[in-house]
Amino acid sequence: MIEEPYRWVEAIANRREYIETQLAAGRPIAALSYRDGILFLTLGRVRQKIFEIYDRIGMGAIGHPGDIERLRMAAIELASTEGFTRSAADVSLRRLAHYSLSPVMKNAFEQVYGAPFLARLLFAEVGPKPEEDLFLRVEYDGAIATNSAGVSPTRLGFAVLGATKQAAELMEAFLEKQHTAGADLEKTIETALDAWSIGHMAMGEDGVKKLPEPTAIAKHSQEQFAERGVEAAILERASKTAIRYRDLSDEEVGSAIKR
Amino acid sequence: MSLAVTFDQNFSGASEDFPTLLRRKGLLQRAPEVNSSVGNSSFVSTESTTILAFKFGGGVLVAGDRRATSGNTVVYDRADKVLEIDRHSIMAIAGVPATAWEMARVLEHSFQYFRRTQLQEMSVDGKVRALSKLLRDNFGFVMQGIGVVVPIFATYDSNGEPGAGARLYFYDAMGAQFEVTDYAATGSGSPAVRGILYYENTWGAKPLQKLGEEEAVTVALRALDTAAESDTSTGGVDRSGKIFPLIKIVSHEGLTTLPEEKIAEVFKRTVA
Repeated sequence: MIEEPYRWVEAIANRREYIETQLAAGRPIAALSYRDGILFLTLGRVRQKIFEIYDRIGMGAIGHPGDIERLRMAAIELASTEGFTRSAADVSLRRLAHYSLSPVMKNAFEQVYGAPFLARLLFAEVGPKPEEDLFLRVEYDGAIATNSAGVSPTRLGFAVLGATKQAAELMEAFLEKQHTAGADLEKTIETALDAWSIGHMAMGEDGVKKLPEPTAIAKHSQEQFAERGVEAAILERASKTAIRYRDLSDEEVGSAIKR
Repeated sequence: MSLAVTFDQNFSGASEDFPTLLRRKGLLQRAPEVNSSVGNSSFVSTESTTILAFKFGGGVLVAGDRRATSGNTVVYDRADKVLEIDRHSIMAIAGVPATAWEMARVLEHSFQYFRRTQLQEMSVDGKVRALSKLLRDNFGFVMQGIGVVVPIFATYDSNGEPGAGARLYFYDAMGAQFEVTDYAATGSGSPAVRGILYYENTWGAKPLQKLGEEEAVTVALRALDTAAESDTSTGGVDRSGKIFPLIKIVSHEGLTTLPEEKIAEVFKRTVA
């Protein structure tokens, strides 16, 4: 059937719809630059969604665990061999995503008789200054969105993963207003939690369509935090050791939220 | 009828260790097979250095001189032979630097690769075994007389079980690992050092494990100075050039490198 170009386009469109449906239940993840590094945050601890890739690179993902795992392994493998044969300084998130992950994911997506990757990935690489932090989102079809294409005075110090386009856009709209890259960790944890809540409230058919009132967000945040618990990790900007990735403990997160 | 189950080898990540990954990608040399029927009788062990390690009150102390030699020539007097592998582990090397540093690099990346892919820290036994395996894989080069490495591995086990705490191992060139209770030494200057450490531990003011940090540094400096006295390939302390041995300590809190000023100060007071 897909000998004809039109059928191929149709098959791809069907596949896109199928994947979007599969991903629609994914809980949001927020990654925010702050003064001393980058924070990854999501709620729920049913399974781990935030991972260490290399010294200065972290990853958050929603999708099928099997696919996430394969992509995570590939990313770690590529970064580790590069870091071994050259140096840790030569491991670059930009190259990892553009030259390795994206083509493979695009290929899998367009081979309509094979299985696509049911995953949406969010990477962050910590820089010496907040303005040099890099955020990069790779979609199941290999599409890449980044915060740092070209030189821009309004470079965003955050990135999000949402279940749907609308959820992600609402989270971004909120963070654009509320988040400053110079904030401290505690403040940033609060902001990230609220952004998560917005992404969560926007899920599903009857989800919110525009930004909720601050009180409604705060209420949702507190309820969900109490119910699910937080998974959070940071990439530290100034650390004596090469490895900047660190999971945040429950106490560190808890003290910021109860403040 | 056979039900052959073929596994997709593309997701090999869960079981593959880092050296295997490197070999698959052609990034790590494979040592030639050892042909036992043609024994290499001209094999000369060249481990020109002195490395020592012992447990003391605050963990494990590892010290090494700084001299690198080639035959009778001193090629470098600031060599770093006490290498940090991760936050709790030290590998100190005697042997061929090119092989030893490469081995340390592989080991460092192996531990990190394991943690990142398996989402848990490698156990102390796993780490000790990983170095053993690297040595075994290198043995073909050793038999050719071009890549002998005889390391010491010191780490701290915080798993909370009995027997946890400071752990110290030495290896032979084939990869056999030996855990020691008190001290270990390797390199051409090690016979003298071993004598001193045995003496200190048995008849000294107090056993090595009861020493404080400064007392331990004193013992290490004196031992290296003694080794350098008779062994030409051991640098000891270069008093005029102000080059001091490298001393690192592994404890519950992690790994610390003693600053040169501190070593110089202890040296002036207790050794010189």
